[in-house]
Amino acid sequence: MTVTELERHAYELAGVSRTYSLGGHQVQALRELDLVIGAGASVVVVGPSGSGKTTLLQLLGGLDRPTAGSVRFEGRDLAQLGDRELSRLRLATFGFVFQQFNLIPTLTAVQNVEVALAPSGVRDRRASALRLLDSVGLAGRASHVPSRLSGGEQQRVAIARALANEPHVLLADEPTGNLDSETGAEIIDLLMALTAEGSRTVVVVTHDTDIAARAGRVIRMQDGRVQQDGIVARADVAAGANTGGSD
Amino acid sequence: MFYLTYILAELRRRSGRTILTAVGLAIGVGLVVTVNALSRGLDDAQAKVLEPLTGVGTDMSVSRPIDFSSSDNGGFPQLSDKERQELQKENGGGRFGLRNLGQPGSHFSRDDFVSTAQLSFAESNVATIRKIDGVSAAAGGLTLNSIHVEGTVPKQSDTQTGPQTFQNDQGGPSAQVGPRSINATSLSVSGVDEMHRALGAITPGQITKGSYFDTSDGRQAILNDSYASREGLGLGDTISVGGKTFTVVGIAKTPLGGQSSDVYVKLSQLQKLSDRVGRVNTVYVRADSASDVAAVAAAIEKKIDGASVTTAQDLADRVSGSLVDAKNLAGKLGTALAIVGLLSAFLIASLLTLASVAKRVRELGTLKALGWSQRLVVRQVTGESLVQGFLGGALGAVFGIGGALLIGAFAPTLQATLSGAASNGPRFFGGPGPFGQGDVSSGGSTDVTLSAPVSLGLIAAAVGLALLGGLIAGAVGGLRAARLRPADALRHID
Repeated sequence: MTVTELERHAYELAGVSRTYSLGGHQVQALRELDLVIGAGASVVVVGPSGSGKTTLLQLLGGLDRPTAGSVRFEGRDLAQLGDRELSRLRLATFGFVFQQFNLIPTLTAVQNVEVALAPSGVRDRRASALRLLDSVGLAGRASHVPSRLSGGEQQRVAIARALANEPHVLLADEPTGNLDSETGAEIIDLLMALTAEGSRTVVVVTHDTDIAARAGRVIRMQDGRVQQDGIVARADVAAGANTGGSD
Repeated sequence: MFYLTYILAELRRRSGRTILTAVGLAIGVGLVVTVNALSRGLDDAQAKVLEPLTGVGTDMSVSRPIDFSSSDNGGFPQLSDKERQELQKENGGGRFGLRNLGQPGSHFSRDDFVSTAQLSFAESNVATIRKIDGVSAAAGGLTLNSIHVEGTVPKQSDTQTGPQTFQNDQGGPSAQVGPRSINATSLSVSGVDEMHRALGAITPGQITKGSYFDTSDGRQAILNDSYASREGLGLGDTISVGGKTFTVVGIAKTPLGGQSSDVYVKLSQLQKLSDRVGRVNTVYVRADSASDVAAVAAAIEKKIDGASVTTAQDLADRVSGSLVDAKNLAGKLGTALAIVGLLSAFLIASLLTLASVAKRVRELGTLKALGWSQRLVVRQVTGESLVQGFLGGALGAVFGIGGALLIGAFAPTLQATLSGAASNGPRFFGGPGPFGQGDVSSGGSTDVTLSAPVSLGLIAAAVGLALLGGLIAGAVGGLRAARLRPADALRHID
């Protein structure tokens, strides 16, 4: 990878803090975080509940703005971008996978993939959506609504949706959190296979030790700060991970 | 196409809320349609009442009413000396005694034409009126009371102090009569300018049997249908007017709004018979447009000395009765009800849309995460509301048409009464009022059946209102959705 590519797809977080108001109390989810993520990197973020993992992911995806500090993507401060620019970024550059799948319940599997393609004005949207579903092994379930799909199938649809616009960055928040271990392993295999194809930057928040073990880089968070950053042994990941809800 | 699919899928998912919103809008719209249809029906009913009062195609009538001033002690209204002289001149006053009619025991017959409440004026005034700016057409008319007195000249006995005289102090002919030997009948007669068929006291459109006057010199009469029915007269029968025989060529339907004259003859013939050649006592005027009426009326009153101009609006202002009450009720209460109903519908639609957005926080947050801009998210919410509005409008049109049909089915009868016309003077022998239009112009009543017509324009306006309601609801919900922060939305638990 060239320096130019590194600069093009790098995240730079400097002194990032995020505070929420919750039931009259101030909750500091992130505390003066400094972080750099290179283009094409596979990063897993682990930590106990309330450590700030999900908040970090939302800042990386431009879904939230820091209370202090800056989050730069490709040299641009995301907090300075307007709604239109952020929407274009999320449409073309970022892909999201959520713990609870977040599929539109009234739309079929293929329509849920089309939801991501609609704003980009893609021609033959239906054909593209079907191809994506085929790539995740769900071509035969295209006309089913989410309530008629298993948890694993719903997450596959969500992954197809996340990859619909060929994003440079894939952000996954506990993608296997609502799945059994077997299904979860299938999803991880699928994610890894799909993201290995290009120079895509992947950031996964997880408690799943298998994902952590397969990552090139593991960031451990605690109380809104980075505790550890680098390649970590499986045992250490297991020791540091916590079962519980996302933060 | 995808966005429409998404909209319809969402509306189907929340079908209960969709139906509730559509029904709410439909009730508001239905009220508007029904009230408007009712108002139009009342306007049509009033027009039916007023139409015959001014004559078909007439915007105003010109007359010279006699000025009756009240007496100082509140007694019977009196004519001024000037007015009395005018009326005597008009009706050829002067007493006649029975002795002048022939020898006692001999048969006599006498016909007179009298005008009791309006004076005639030169027919040349019609041409003057035609030349006024804004006047499209004008035609003269003459309406009189034809009095026929006949009987046997009574013998005077020694016990009688003298012949008994009936005196008309108001300027008409007097007569000396005795008991049981004299019969007097009267007939209201209108002379119509047959050269102006579309303008006048009677027009070809009012003929129900037979035909309108032709251009021959023959003495032709058109009878009012209620008079003809009362007298048992039909086409081809003859009738005596002013001692001359006229052939009945047509029967005219008594227009809603009151009774017209009993008999219609050609103007020139009536003028000759009544010794009023070159005189008319009514001019029917049509203006170029509705906006010219007031100016034309003012110009006529300025040009013609003593003229009184009555427009359709003047007559409309004098109409009272349940028709007017219903119009006022529809106008005030009905309109208020429709506005309140519509506003309530808009409010309900807005609240339901807000509730729907509140339930879809996570979904809308996900859309933003997928790259949907604020504009697209608002468009989605507004689009759903617009479709609901369209459904509400269509249903509302059905409700409104149903309401109008219900009114038509019940077809309530309303009454219209026209209060006293320009002259409030005494009327003799039950003669016609200022416009020669009989009892209506002096306080008669008529019944009219109410309908509630619904036009395509009204339906389109109603659907438009429902769409507006959908748009407002969508804007309210859309603004709520636009203010959602994606991170907060994704944290939301449904």
